[in-house]
Amino acid sequence: MKAWQIGMVLAALLLLAGVPWYGSDVLVQFGINALLLAVLAQGWNIIGGYTGYASFGNSVFYGLGAYGVAIAMVQWQLPFGVGMVFGVVLAVVFAVLLGIPVLRLKGHYFAIATLALSQVMTAIVSNVGLAGQNIGLVLPPLNNDPLFYELSLGLLTVATLTIWGLTRSRFGFGLIAIRENEEGAAVMGVNTTLYKVLAFALSGVFSALAGGIHAYWITFLDPDSAFDISLNVKMIIMAVFGGPGTVLGPIVGALSLSAISEFLSSEVTSIAGLFFGLVIVAAVVLMPRGLADMIRRLRKTGWRYFSENIRAHRL
Amino acid sequence: MDLLAQILVNGTLQGGLYAVMALGLALVWGVLNIVNLAHGAFIMLGGYASWYLYTYAHIDPFLGLPLTAAVMFGLGYGLQRGLLNLVIRAPMFNTLLITFGLEVVLTYLAQLVFSADFRTINPPYAGNSLAWGPVVLPLARLAAFGVAIVLTVGMWLFLLHTRLGRAIRATAQNLVAARLYGVEPRHLYAMTFGLGIALAGAAGTLYGTVSQINPYIGASLTAKSFAISIIGGLENPLGVIVGGLFLGIVESLTTLYIGQTFADVASFGILVLVLIVRPSGLLGKTT
Amino acid sequence: MTALLEVRHATRIFDGLVAVDDVSFTLAPGEILGLIGPNGAGKTTLISLISGTLAPSEGEILFQDEVINRLPAFRRARLGIGRTFQIMRPFPGLSVLDNVAVGALFGRDGGQAKLAKAREQARVSLEFVGLGKDIDKRADELGGPGRKRLELAKALAMQPKVLLCDEVMAGLNHVEIEEVIEIIRKVRDQGISILVIEHVIKAIKSLSDRLLVLHHGEKIADGTPEAVLANPIVIEAYLGKKRA
Repeated sequence: MKAWQIGMVLAALLLLAGVPWYGSDVLVQFGINALLLAVLAQGWNIIGGYTGYASFGNSVFYGLGAYGVAIAMVQWQLPFGVGMVFGVVLAVVFAVLLGIPVLRLKGHYFAIATLALSQVMTAIVSNVGLAGQNIGLVLPPLNNDPLFYELSLGLLTVATLTIWGLTRSRFGFGLIAIRENEEGAAVMGVNTTLYKVLAFALSGVFSALAGGIHAYWITFLDPDSAFDISLNVKMIIMAVFGGPGTVLGPIVGALSLSAISEFLSSEVTSIAGLFFGLVIVAAVVLMPRGLADMIRRLRKTGWRYFSENIRAHRL
Repeated sequence: MDLLAQILVNGTLQGGLYAVMALGLALVWGVLNIVNLAHGAFIMLGGYASWYLYTYAHIDPFLGLPLTAAVMFGLGYGLQRGLLNLVIRAPMFNTLLITFGLEVVLTYLAQLVFSADFRTINPPYAGNSLAWGPVVLPLARLAAFGVAIVLTVGMWLFLLHTRLGRAIRATAQNLVAARLYGVEPRHLYAMTFGLGIALAGAAGTLYGTVSQINPYIGASLTAKSFAISIIGGLENPLGVIVGGLFLGIVESLTTLYIGQTFADVASFGILVLVLIVRPSGLLGKTT
Repeated sequence: MTALLEVRHATRIFDGLVAVDDVSFTLAPGEILGLIGPNGAGKTTLISLISGTLAPSEGEILFQDEVINRLPAFRRARLGIGRTFQIMRPFPGLSVLDNVAVGALFGRDGGQAKLAKAREQARVSLEFVGLGKDIDKRADELGGPGRKRLELAKALAMQPKVLLCDEVMAGLNHVEIEEVIEIIRKVRDQGISILVIEHVIKAIKSLSDRLLVLHHGEKIADGTPEAVLANPIVIEAYLGKKRA
């Protein structure tokens, strides 16, 4: 990265960090949601974008993180920080235990297995007494939106720095090699199973932390909201819209799509949903490699960029 | 014992419906390699189409089924020809996303047009049932089961014995082979997707006669269709019958012996197990 | 001197079809062993058994006198077994340099932990195979001959002790074949043993110290190139068809 790029990123970070001081309460609340979604998109980026495994089950990590915090704080009267650690431990255990068999599956099969796991988890948690069954848990309220905002921003920063570190490390190269050609990676000495599980777990750690922050902020959670399956799709769309397998793409995707959808849903809710769907359809056809790729290439190729994308993938 | 028999019968009847729900998904997946996340939304649309036909034109759902299927076929053909063919060679992830986008669009369109109210297709015979010993057979469910089996077997015969069917099966192996049948690939793909959506529409009609429909049922029906296709395996069109019956019976038994809330754990848990242990389905080859 | 690599009675069956049938041979340190045979003779399967992407149904594979056939592919790579693929499999989204850097980052003994050093090592391998000027291209921008060399460079960056080459000359013209032969000789001069699958008989005859012939998965000849190519069984099974 060049000096001016680092400067730009730092300036953007400062601008974001200042929101609680100059922005409205509504903006801060929107910000918390958008930043946590960006963390989820970044978490997904590790397993989906860099390793090439399209997980539809990252909502499980989010839910485990949320329940980790809720159970620790409500049932055991432990501080929030301990709850976050508990949530992360749950997520890592899940990633390792289920990752080992499920990461053997490829392509659609992996996607479907993870989707099914996320359905199973909702149903299982609905039957666990400690987790409040399907009634849910109510956390002690903490009315401090600026704190939650800065926590979310901090988490997103750490997640992004981690990914940036990945792109220049041996581990990250191993993941990319797996994505590009798993067998080729193995014969070059990449321990593919270990790397995939590590990537899944790392992706789970960030998702769980996001879930933990969200639970404490919202102060209430039940299985349907904690393991919300549509969350999977949201984070994937945001990552893919921005540019999967890039350091900043998923953030751009998450923030821009959150803003658009917030703006539209303040008008008519169902129109916002409809628009969301149309954006996805159009994006897949016109810019299948995401905003990051589009911005990079549009300057060189101009409008031909879109027709070239279609020509490359049509029957 | 009577209760068990009744539960088994209920599961079997439900399983027939499940089979036809999954049939279209399995066809499109096996042949076009598109996992259609909008499949459930098309089932939902088919349900509404028949509901409107019955409510406003007084056409019996079973008689109106061919009409619904034909309309849905047209919709599917157009979507494949005009949209999905544009991304068919993109990475598998993009086709997943585009069909998800379609799912969102269809769901919200349905909410705008049909409202979020629950609808049921209620022909006069809806409450009637046959008695078979101690077991009760609701007439509508029995009819839906019968139609489902006819459709599934009919599809199987079509794929085996017609020129188009053979071309479709050849496409599942590879595109070059399909060209030998002299069918233009873009047309062939659109025909296949159209058939898949027509089956979804038919499934929606049957679903509407035995359950409630609303704009949001799509996602869970897609998930179930997946489970059924995987359990049955994609290689054999009759696999969905096995998968459907299996899932229907397992769900009924789970509800009876463990509890309603565990029905999903059972079905999706089995899905994951099958994927890990026998990725080619219960009927598939072991490797 | 003992063999670096030894294959004992290796057999591989796919769905009842015997692809490799009770094949045994050894590869000495610094040796170039040519592996020939008609299409479908089981050559690539044999290489896959050694590199670990396939498991043998029966038999043993020894590397430096250790049985390795239970080790996963990445462990064998770390022991020093490098291979190229016949159907070239570059990492298409990565630059040519980073494709090769993966080999240096992993490879023998777990490779190089630092990216900068790995890239340095990759640059050396790329210079060695004559791709020095293409390092900044994306791998999928290379043409067929370039990709063959990239495959070689990726395997070499692993600093292997044994290199398994699966048809690195197929589709090349005479000049390019001469160049690749030269590269392989230079690799051997560094002390690396080489198993090379090839269809171009003239090339493999001049390159190999020894030839092994597979036919329907069975080893039908093993010896000096002159002796093997004069062997009537080999002519019958393999060359006979070409003469007709």
